Amino acid sequence: MHPRIFFIIGIIYFTTSVVFSQTDRFNRLEENKVYQQVANVVVTTPTEQVALSSLYSRTPLIIALIFTRCTGVCSPMILNLYENINHLQSDKNFKVLVLSFDSMDNIKDMSRFATRYGLENNKQWIFATTSQIKELNISIGFNPIWDTSKKQFNHEALFVGINKDGYITKKVVGIRSYTALADMIKEINNEFVISYPLPKINMLFSCFDYNPITGKKKPSWGLLILLLPFIITCMLLILLVKYTRKN
Amino acid sequence: MENKSLKRVTSIWIITILVLFVASILLGIIMRFNQGTKINLAPATFYAYMTTHGLTMVGIWVVAGMAAVHYLLTRYVKVPLSINIFAMLFTVIGVVLLWAATLVGHFHAAWTFLYPLPFYTAWEAWATPVFLLGIGVLGIGWFVWAVGMLVSILKNYSLSQAFAWQHFKKDNGIETPPFILIATVSLIGVIVCLLTAVLLLILYFAEYFSKGSFTNDPLLMKNLTYFFGHTIINEALYLGLATLYELLPEISGRPRFKTTWYVALAWNCTLVFVLTAFFHHLYMDFVQPEGFQMIGQIASYLASLPSATVTAFSVVILIYNNSIKWSLANILFFIGVMGWLIGGMGAVIDATISNNFILHNTLWVPAHFHTYNAMGNVLFSLAFFWWAANEFTNTHNDRRERFKTILLLVGGFGFVLMFYIGGALSIPRRYSVYPEEFTSAAMLATAGAWFACIYLLGIVLMLIDIVKKCTRVFSSSSV
Amino acid sequence: MEKHQSLLVIFLILAGLIASIFLHIYRSSLITYGAEGMYNPTRKRYFFFLILASVAVILMSVTIPDSPYFMFADKQPSKVVFVAAKQFSFILSNQAIDPKKGGAGENIEIPVGELVEFRVSSLDVTHGFAIYDDKSNLVAQTQAMPGYINKLRWKFNTPGTYNILCLEFCGVAHAFMRASFTVK
Repeated sequence: MHPRIFFIIGIIYFTTSVVFSQTDRFNRLEENKVYQQVANVVVTTPTEQVALSSLYSRTPLIIALIFTRCTGVCSPMILNLYENINHLQSDKNFKVLVLSFDSMDNIKDMSRFATRYGLENNKQWIFATTSQIKELNISIGFNPIWDTSKKQFNHEALFVGINKDGYITKKVVGIRSYTALADMIKEINNEFVISYPLPKINMLFSCFDYNPITGKKKPSWGLLILLLPFIITCMLLILLVKYTRKN
Repeated sequence: MENKSLKRVTSIWIITILVLFVASILLGIIMRFNQGTKINLAPATFYAYMTTHGLTMVGIWVVAGMAAVHYLLTRYVKVPLSINIFAMLFTVIGVVLLWAATLVGHFHAAWTFLYPLPFYTAWEAWATPVFLLGIGVLGIGWFVWAVGMLVSILKNYSLSQAFAWQHFKKDNGIETPPFILIATVSLIGVIVCLLTAVLLLILYFAEYFSKGSFTNDPLLMKNLTYFFGHTIINEALYLGLATLYELLPEISGRPRFKTTWYVALAWNCTLVFVLTAFFHHLYMDFVQPEGFQMIGQIASYLASLPSATVTAFSVVILIYNNSIKWSLANILFFIGVMGWLIGGMGAVIDATISNNFILHNTLWVPAHFHTYNAMGNVLFSLAFFWWAANEFTNTHNDRRERFKTILLLVGGFGFVLMFYIGGALSIPRRYSVYPEEFTSAAMLATAGAWFACIYLLGIVLMLIDIVKKCTRVFSSSSV
Repeated sequence: MEKHQSLLVIFLILAGLIASIFLHIYRSSLITYGAEGMYNPTRKRYFFFLILASVAVILMSVTIPDSPYFMFADKQPSKVVFVAAKQFSFILSNQAIDPKKGGAGENIEIPVGELVEFRVSSLDVTHGFAIYDDKSNLVAQTQAMPGYINKLRWKFNTPGTYNILCLEFCGVAHAFMRASFTVK
């Protein structure tokens, strides 16, 4: 094939591969209470009543706060978490503790909630209640507000990452991509994540996306731009050699 | 006839570069006196001067290297004069646009114009697009020039010969002169970083004309900025080294350098190292992948191996215990190699990540790059200018010009020493005035300014001699 | 001796060595008869290369593990300080900073001997976040880049007031950007 064609293909590929990255909402309030200890409340699961420390000392936890009568964000957030965990297929150690912050919820309600998502027999997921929810909420910086007109709690979709020593190492607010989950899983396993990007709003190209499988950053379109001068120079050299041979 | 035209064009380059060099040194001296509180500029003015100084210095030593390589390349291959004149025209236009943006429009985002600072316009609104356009115009001119010279080389040498790959075989056939090898490697490097500048400008203009509908990734833009900026000033240094390889033996009355397998290996490796070392500018951006940070340190360290063990060592072998015809030209080359190695020590220290943690963006940074340039590459180019001025007018000047040499040595090394001490005292760079707690900062700045005046005197004395001779090239009786 | 001073001393020694060698080489060339050149330059070049390459490898293997990316990575910080840089001030807070609200920040006190994590970002252009001790020595730094959080972990073993200066050129008042915190 004529080398010029590669050059043209390269240009077309470049100009048609403009990607605008996703626009996650970012809540800076997910930074509060980080590195503080979670309150060691007693939780009731279908099989036992146990201190939270007994759970997190066995495996790091991702706590997802919901209430079963929720008509808002609770279902999507659990579904989203479930899908992201399946997508990541992480080999790292962690469990999900789905905890109700509604004192009206009992363990039967939570079991029914689990059944909705087919998670009742999934060993990675624990559905529980606690009578010490106020204490827990203060320690994690969670503040659901009861709306009497809607008869619903107004609350953030909050996930709290707890390491094996009971420290809050990462919080994630909102329905987020698997990259945020990958970071959380790393941090609850005490892997230091030295830097992370804030969600990009209308950003043209960025260098990297996180690779959730390895926990490392994987090249994105921005990296191609960094390599482009070198690639174009190589193509140019080939063209120049052909041109000078002809003449 | 064409040789006469090339001499004239080269003379114009030499005179222009020297005049701009003096103007730029003056801006630098004013800056140091301001930092020494001997004068009191408004910060915006200081930073406009700083931007102008940086742009001018980088620009003139790039074109100095290109002009020298073009002239010497004609010893080996035919090079069209038109590309040289084209580049000159675009350089003039580019410089005018840049100076308009900085000195009239008060654009002061520094010569590195780090994203997104150019969009935070604390200057005339028109200055940002004019600045970007100025960079673009320079880039076009130099790109055409670099490609043109590369084509000229490739018309006479195959690509593998231009890279001197045949020297890795026992029976290597045609010899690739070191000058051709280094010119090829440097011109390819220049092309890569000019293309990087093109991409950077496209992204800047895309955001500028989008009027906020989309933004760029600051991390990507920083990588592109330093890929361009770091690489181009290093390529200018390698263009200067090409000149050294060609002229130093000749001027010294010694046999010419030969390309051996290790010379070929060194310069091929240098092409890779120089294109990857720029990562050392992002060590303190913890968001950069660790792999890139490691590449930055490794490439920066490895780059010192070919330069020290091939180039510098070859210069040492050429001169040590041999009778040398010393004149100002080869003295300048010789001191330039010393300055380049000393600057290299400062660079390797700063390119070590654990050191960079406490040296990054302190005065250590201008210390090492001013050593590389003022006492390294600048001297290579001045050596060429001195040699060319004599060559063009058939003058044989064997004087060592001790006074000029002493002025450059004392002034130059004194000037950079003040920076090194400042870096060790953690004094920040790019400050218009220094905070009170840095009690020695003002004194070091003032001393640096006086040393720079001594250096400037040496340059002015050289300029007078060189310009006198270069202007004779335009009279009809000249060769 | 502080690390900064040691680096300067090392540099000056190496620079002096290079200058001495070059002076020696220059003087050796001032002979006018019986010039001999360098004995066995090829072997000397190989030897020089081997020494330099060994030094480079040793230095890389010793210094890379000391990089700030690995510092305190396996330790649990006892405090987080949030930092948002903007033209031309630093906002420091014990709570995450809402860019819409911004604010002046708060007085920060850090317990001596405890590991603290600074979470640094910028609200506009790229700044530098550089911590200086009361002797004006640069202790630690990271970049404050818009759109990214950089985490800088450090343990302050000496009580006192520490200053923060901007170490990335950010505009006309770059030299006047500062903040401070106390270590008690």
